[in-house]
Amino acid sequence: MVMHFFDGRSVRRARMVWRCRQVVYLAVCSALILSGLACTSTRQRNPNEIIYWSSNNPYEIEFARLVVAEWNRRHPDTPVRYQPVPEGQSSEEVILAAVVGKTTPDVYSNMWQGDVEAFARAGVLVPLDTLPGFLEFLYQRCDSAVVREATSEDGHIYQVPWKINPIMMVYNVGLFRAIGLDRPPATYSEYLQAAEKMKADTDGDGYVDRWIGYLNVNVTWWKRLFDFYPLYLAASEGAPLVTGNRVVFNNRYAREVFQFLRRLYAGGHLPRDPMEGRQDPFIAGQVATQFTGPWVVRYLEKFKPEGFEYRFAPVPVPDDHQGPVYTYGDPKNIVIFGTSPNPRLAWKFVRFMISKENDRLFLETTDQLPRRRNLFQDPYFQAYFEKNPRMKPFARQAQYVRGTDVCPVLKEVFDAISQQFEASVIYGVVPVDKALEEAARRVRLML
Amino acid sequence: MGSRKWMIYLVLIAGVIVFTYPFFWMVMASLAPEKEIESLVLLPSRMSLHSYQQVVEKIPIFRALLNSLLVSAAVTAGVLVFGSMVGYALSRLRFRGRNLIFYVILFTMTLPFQITLIPQYILMVKFGWVDTYLALIVPYIMNAFGIIMFRQFFMSIPQDLIDAARIDGCGDLQILFRILWPNAVPALVTVGIITFMNTWNEVLWPLIVIRVEELMTMPQLIALFAVGGRAEAQLGVKLAAATMLALPIVLAYLFFQRYFIESMATTGLKE
Amino acid sequence: MTRRYTGYGFVLPYVVHFLLFVAFPVGFSLVLVFHRWNIIAPMEFVGLHNFHRLANDALFFRALGNTLIFLLIHIPLQIVVALFFAELLNRQLRLRGFFRAAYFLPVIVSGVVVTILWQRLFSYDSGLLNRLLVAIGLGKVGWLVDPDLAMPSIALMATWKNVGLYIVLFLVGLQSVPAQLYEAADLEGATAWQKFRHITLPMINPTIFLVVVLSTIGGFSLFIEPYILTGGGPLNRTLSAVLYIYKEGFFFYHMGYAATLGFFFALLIMLVVVIQKKLVEREVTI
Repeated sequence: MVMHFFDGRSVRRARMVWRCRQVVYLAVCSALILSGLACTSTRQRNPNEIIYWSSNNPYEIEFARLVVAEWNRRHPDTPVRYQPVPEGQSSEEVILAAVVGKTTPDVYSNMWQGDVEAFARAGVLVPLDTLPGFLEFLYQRCDSAVVREATSEDGHIYQVPWKINPIMMVYNVGLFRAIGLDRPPATYSEYLQAAEKMKADTDGDGYVDRWIGYLNVNVTWWKRLFDFYPLYLAASEGAPLVTGNRVVFNNRYAREVFQFLRRLYAGGHLPRDPMEGRQDPFIAGQVATQFTGPWVVRYLEKFKPEGFEYRFAPVPVPDDHQGPVYTYGDPKNIVIFGTSPNPRLAWKFVRFMISKENDRLFLETTDQLPRRRNLFQDPYFQAYFEKNPRMKPFARQAQYVRGTDVCPVLKEVFDAISQQFEASVIYGVVPVDKALEEAARRVRLML
Repeated sequence: MGSRKWMIYLVLIAGVIVFTYPFFWMVMASLAPEKEIESLVLLPSRMSLHSYQQVVEKIPIFRALLNSLLVSAAVTAGVLVFGSMVGYALSRLRFRGRNLIFYVILFTMTLPFQITLIPQYILMVKFGWVDTYLALIVPYIMNAFGIIMFRQFFMSIPQDLIDAARIDGCGDLQILFRILWPNAVPALVTVGIITFMNTWNEVLWPLIVIRVEELMTMPQLIALFAVGGRAEAQLGVKLAAATMLALPIVLAYLFFQRYFIESMATTGLKE
Repeated sequence: MTRRYTGYGFVLPYVVHFLLFVAFPVGFSLVLVFHRWNIIAPMEFVGLHNFHRLANDALFFRALGNTLIFLLIHIPLQIVVALFFAELLNRQLRLRGFFRAAYFLPVIVSGVVVTILWQRLFSYDSGLLNRLLVAIGLGKVGWLVDPDLAMPSIALMATWKNVGLYIVLFLVGLQSVPAQLYEAADLEGATAWQKFRHITLPMINPTIFLVVVLSTIGGFSLFIEPYILTGGGPLNRTLSAVLYIYKEGFFFYHMGYAATLGFFFALLIMLVVVIQKKLVEREVTI
């Protein structure tokens, strides 16, 4: 037993108070940590302020800065605040989190056309055709084919066609000269013949180290936007993959593209090795062509070795192809979110942002093409192309580009195609007809 | 006998080469000119920090280092404080439902994370915690492993120590943090190292809940850098980023090597 | 009396945490498996559709098969290599601590680092491994390109990364074997193999079980390696369970189906671990 020199009861009471307090503290602390922080503060929005998210590409940020500064100078009482979309795995994820958290901006300028339908169906976008002056503006800016592309299944338009980056074939002039060709292959046969001559073992170690091309062998769905899809659009003069609820990609053109690429892989003309683990094979002169967009110009200018000469040409087409060569334009569009307190004001800003003079500013700042008709013919933009001759082929190509089909499960469509693309084209383990039939079957299940 | 011993040393040294040479190669390649990496075996013709400079210019790697430190430290502190509290309650305090809670904890240890991954993400979205440190810290500030380690350890502490403290008028919080903690350094070190390492090396969860570059942890940022296009197909830059990611843990390992090995050997846990 | 409340106070944070981050997610995943949900649109009840899809999902079974291949290579390799080095280290040696520390190095380094590094080593054209093979007169190997080799290559890499830990674990196990047992066996004229088979192996059985269980759970958790190296290819041969859940959940936002996948993979892991436990326990009694 322990002797207490002071009154036991008061000590006990004091301790009890202390312990009760402990319990209370703990409860309060854990409550604070676990739930108190869960509340997100609801921001008070000023209805006269426009929040605009741009992409995080440094050149587009610069463009946004210039445009917003000009707008704010002209409209000091309805200012725009711009933020580059945080760089994540993809901007779509960022937008998705914002939608769920109801923190979407008023205007977002970098929405991939293929994503719009899913967001439109979820009811988070403003149908722009309900805004006064929208349709007139749109028809003035774009061809009817582009408007059709931008129209959703429910007949509304939720996006403003903004910019494109057409996919073309870049080729190493020196390598083609070395095999006696002074112009790049335009058809499948020419490409295959060039491939035969291009394949070489330049260092004599018994392994091929020079090829006609390289496709990203990763099966991730969007990789097919840069090989299968442009070739398909070129072969079919811009045919859709799906229309309404029907699968249409299981056709002659897709078969031709599959067969063409499959022959290249089977002949060892395209390497199956994922080249991510090595130096860029195009710059290293190991690969003679690549399918890519205008962004490659800046990259090549930065890293190309001395004397490296490259040019652009349309992607190859089937031998019996007639007429213009279409390609994928990788369109990014502008949307207005339903959370906007003042969609008309937001639209007014968008209209300003893509006015003719700002389109020229955009072209000059970012080297990306505004999606407007007669871009190349319009004298207003001529000076830019004279100064940047590298961009001319892309501007010419811009007349013949397609975006994506209106489809809420577009990613799944590309995933289904990509799975079969890998099996049939890259590894040749599934016959072409069966592969496309299987891809079509999987897509039908989802539609 | 002598020759046999030599054979053993030879094999052991071969093992050292197999397990460490790739790291050596990585460091050398990150210092080498881009053109030489493809053929590099030992030392490059000249060394430069060019690749590192590129990494620093392209991605906010120091910010990521800071994020990783902050998150790992917060999680470790949480696991130590809460883990020892629960472990103490389960081993030294009597209350109804104590065994039930213990069994629940044991059960959660066997529960694979695959099942909670998607709902936990949705919870983060609903809380508005996506793109905040909270998403990286709060779900991890308590874990079954820590609790069980502490419970085990506190059970071995003599009751006299606790009784004496109680007589001196200590409350349970004081007993735990003033009396038991100083006597529980091995358990604290083990739980601390394992938790810190696991948090430091975690990639999947950050990939899911963090999209803002400023808040990304180091492994996440570098994993994205490796699979994304921003390394501009420059090998040296990727390898430099990987080296920078390895460096803090390897440095810690060099100093506390014994503790690392013992902690992981006693628990059998790895990242 | 009061200490009881202190007890509750001490475990309260855990209970709240458990309810929020374990109980709720498990319960919610049970709701999700019956729904189609892309997060932005309202949840749609689809009954057993997700189960139906799972039963017909070739990729789900492919991911399972891949995990099996991974485990069948990884576990035996891991045990053999770890035991081999542990045996060598289990004697009076100079620099023993140094060897142990060196083998342990890959264990502590992040999987991201190891994977980026091995991406380089595995490269077909000029990776270190193929350069080595060519230098000793063998041909190049398509480590990650050949569909049949891709998963074994990843298993090889995972073994390289983790084996240091198991060397240490086996070393602890070996040191706990009483020396008298070996001395008695020596007296009876047992060979080295007999000693290993009849003394060492039964004595370190618990360690082997631990290695098997940890590797199994590791196999089902495989993510960053295929995420960086192959994206699941070639021909989905390296698609892992977690990578598949990740793709379904965060590429396509099929939250209901991703939850269904998670649910089933979790059940399978628990099942496999229980079976392994039974098997190993039987093994010990033999």
